[in-house]
Amino acid sequence: MKLSKLFLFGVLGGLFFNSCSSDDDNVDPQPEPEVGVYSEGLFVLNEGAQAAGTVTYISDDMETVENEIYQANNNDDLGMFLQSMFFHEDNAYIISNGSNLITAVDRNTFEVGGKVDSGLKVPYYAAVVGETAYVTNLAEVIDTPNDDYIALVDLKTLEVTGTIEIDGPASKIIAEDEFVYVQNSSYGVGNTITVINSATKDVVKTIQVNDGLTDMEIENDYLYVLGTGSFETIDLTTGQKVSEVVLTDDLQGASNLEVEDGTAYFTLDNAVYAMAVGATTNPVAPMIEYTSNSQWGKMYGFEVEDDKIYIGDAGDFGSNGFIQVYTTSGEFLKQISVGVAPNGFYFND
Amino acid sequence: MKKSTFYLLFLALLNWTPSFAQLDSMNYLEEVFVSNVKLREFSTGQTLIKIDDSVSKLSRPTLGEALRFNSPIYFKENGLGMVSSPSFRGTTASQTAVLWNGININSQFNGQVNFNIISTAGIDEVTVRGGGGSVVYGTGAIGGTVHLNNRLHFNQGFKNELFLQYGSYNTVDARYKTEASGELWSLSIAGARNSSDNDYEYPDNGENLNGQFFNNTLDVGLAYKIAPKNYLRAFSSFSHAGRHFSLIRPSETPTKYRDINSRNLLEWETGISHFKSTTKLAFLDESFRYYENLSSDKYSFGQAETFIARNDLEYTGFKDVKLASVLSNTHTSGEGSGIDDNSRNIFSAALLLKHHATQRFSYEAGLRKELTNNYESPVLFSAGAKYEFSSFYALKLNASKNFKIPTYNDLYWNPGGNPDLKPETSLQGEIGNSFRWRNFDLDLTAYYIDIKDMIRWLPASGGIWRPQNEDEVRSYGLEGLLGWEKHIGNGFLRLKGIYSYTVSENQKTSKQLIYVPYHKVTGSAGYAYGRWNFDYQLLFNGEVFTRSDNDPKYNLDAYTISNISTSYAFGQEKSYRLGARVRNIFDEAYQNVEDRWMPGVNFNIYLNLNF
Repeated sequence: MKLSKLFLFGVLGGLFFNSCSSDDDNVDPQPEPEVGVYSEGLFVLNEGAQAAGTVTYISDDMETVENEIYQANNNDDLGMFLQSMFFHEDNAYIISNGSNLITAVDRNTFEVGGKVDSGLKVPYYAAVVGETAYVTNLAEVIDTPNDDYIALVDLKTLEVTGTIEIDGPASKIIAEDEFVYVQNSSYGVGNTITVINSATKDVVKTIQVNDGLTDMEIENDYLYVLGTGSFETIDLTTGQKVSEVVLTDDLQGASNLEVEDGTAYFTLDNAVYAMAVGATTNPVAPMIEYTSNSQWGKMYGFEVEDDKIYIGDAGDFGSNGFIQVYTTSGEFLKQISVGVAPNGFYFND
Repeated sequence: MKKSTFYLLFLALLNWTPSFAQLDSMNYLEEVFVSNVKLREFSTGQTLIKIDDSVSKLSRPTLGEALRFNSPIYFKENGLGMVSSPSFRGTTASQTAVLWNGININSQFNGQVNFNIISTAGIDEVTVRGGGGSVVYGTGAIGGTVHLNNRLHFNQGFKNELFLQYGSYNTVDARYKTEASGELWSLSIAGARNSSDNDYEYPDNGENLNGQFFNNTLDVGLAYKIAPKNYLRAFSSFSHAGRHFSLIRPSETPTKYRDINSRNLLEWETGISHFKSTTKLAFLDESFRYYENLSSDKYSFGQAETFIARNDLEYTGFKDVKLASVLSNTHTSGEGSGIDDNSRNIFSAALLLKHHATQRFSYEAGLRKELTNNYESPVLFSAGAKYEFSSFYALKLNASKNFKIPTYNDLYWNPGGNPDLKPETSLQGEIGNSFRWRNFDLDLTAYYIDIKDMIRWLPASGGIWRPQNEDEVRSYGLEGLLGWEKHIGNGFLRLKGIYSYTVSENQKTSKQLIYVPYHKVTGSAGYAYGRWNFDYQLLFNGEVFTRSDNDPKYNLDAYTISNISTSYAFGQEKSYRLGARVRNIFDEAYQNVEDRWMPGVNFNIYLNLNF
């Protein structure tokens, strides 16, 4: 992307860049940010409900907030039900599960570069290995738990080049070294993780975990698995479970796992809990509790990054939601209103 | 927009037809009405709007289209021909009851009717009654009721009618009806097909993909006069509808829906001395299939069979008083994807009294109670009165308590169905004013509806969703109906207008419900001159909220649609007619639901033969 842009600049330079830079420099001193307006901040993905989902940009200092940045920069929308987003090189890719679309945009300007618009069936999450995105697809919902698959998307051509069938639901997906890990659960029902060798595109292993699998994370060769009733740590080099915390009754139903700097964070209802990785018992009190009148959109999005905790609240899904930002010591920093049903945070750095 | 609203209001205030007001005084002809007698007699203090065959023929052949242009009901339509659900006086889609020859036909599964799969082709008369009606019509009669009636005539000989219409997007509307009757018997058979590619262009770019639909219907009516005041009648209606659900973006998964409905009614009416008894046996079969991906043949489904046995007894032995009772037993068994085979039985008893106290004053009162194991059934009531101050002005009052019972989905969905649900209940009242002056009619109605225990699905423990009696809604508003007709030279001009102002608030948030416009106006002008007819239809739909917090940024704009048509009658008896129509003549770009564009200007021609 950078290269082609440079090339373009070179070609077009003679046409208008020269003309404005030579004469107008003093008139318009505002420096054109070379990297684009969205390069220093984070994106909030708003799932959308009645209408297409949207993306909100929030600058690192949280002073600049811009909603609906895709619509603002393109005469287009991102499709129904935005599920997740991923980055690769200079691009960001936004997955719409309701419209079977992945929209590729410049991560700094949010101008559309292209779309993956065939070969997807209810796409959910993606992980990138080399130039290939592994995109999980739920496919059909009625009576067909075993038709989920991974679409292999060539990020250069934005074409689906192949598929890998998954025996069971396929939702979250993480690439680590030459392996791709697929969470086989949906809505907290499921207890396996499929491992794919990215070199051969074959399923090489199935990791058995506790029932009620809701989320997983990989950090430094350790796989952390959150279930509705347990937190497991698995050493990926040996394949052995190294520790397990069975959650006490009051923490049953936990979801949203984030592991950051040796601390595992998860949520339950309107509360955030934190525990040291390797702890033998779960925390007794939440580190954050926030006020929400949402009946089913509490903690709809959750992320921990650079000593900050981000939570998304979807309200009634019928109007715009909000996010809150806290420090990892639990101090409230800011509340910002965003789009309908904020479900994810993606950092452009 | 403000200016045009005002203009339209002004226009609407000039027009209305007297047909709705005249129902009160209509005679009992040697026609075989089914529910109409009760509808006329027990609507004291309420207003009826009659839409006859010739008016509904101006619209596309679906109930939704006929009512969109001729009633105060607002319709939320997912693109042309797709699911069309009503909001009558600000209520939800399951709070408008649809009655086919007096039998409630709302779906057992979601309590609603898709007004786009009800064809007007096999219906002789549509009557819209605003306001509560659960005492007589049972569940869902909160915002109002829509009555679909068939008529049979005696001594009319042999008659045939063929109607063929073809228009934009390869839209076919073909209907054939044959009627034969003698002194003792009457038979009517009507068949119709409506289909369309429905691939209209969107205003910006793109076209309506995967929007094709068809609707086939067959309606049969049979009556036999056993003796004077002793009739046997049978009605059957069969429909097979298929529609693909249109896509907003080409990459979306194409889906389709198939409905098969059959409705059968046998009734025996007999009068002895001051008693009149009507006994009905009805069998309804509803079945749907939803194909969530056209590339596979997998589908989800629902199927329900309903048997109804009912007796309506009327006693007219006291002077100026009519007493009536309605006893009915409804047995439903249904199953579907997510619903195990379940059956439920509801017995209901209603008592009604109508008293024409003086020439000018009449009143009525009614009570209803249901017996069922499925839910706690409240006692329902209704009371209405009408006083004619002069030939110029009449005052009408009506108050009632009504309900909507929990549906099959609410009770039996597995997992999550909640057997402890209460019915949604409403307390409501209205004040109507009728003005009549020469060939000018005006009806103004103000209403208030307080709805409690509205059912909403919410997440419960373990990620399971469960319906609860959760919401409370308050609706109030104003309906104005105007009509005027006059012979002008050799021609005849008829103008009608309807204006509705609707406030419908969630009582917890005090926000207007989404997709309930504050303002709706319909108007029509018909001019007949010799063999020529000219018709104009107008619809103004005010802006609607699409977000529950009423954020105006996402409102759908108001829109105004105009249709024109003309026709020429030929043949000695003027019994053949050739016509042409232009719909949305000003090519208004509009959406009825967010991201669902409706068609621009479109055309059709038709031929109507009576022989």
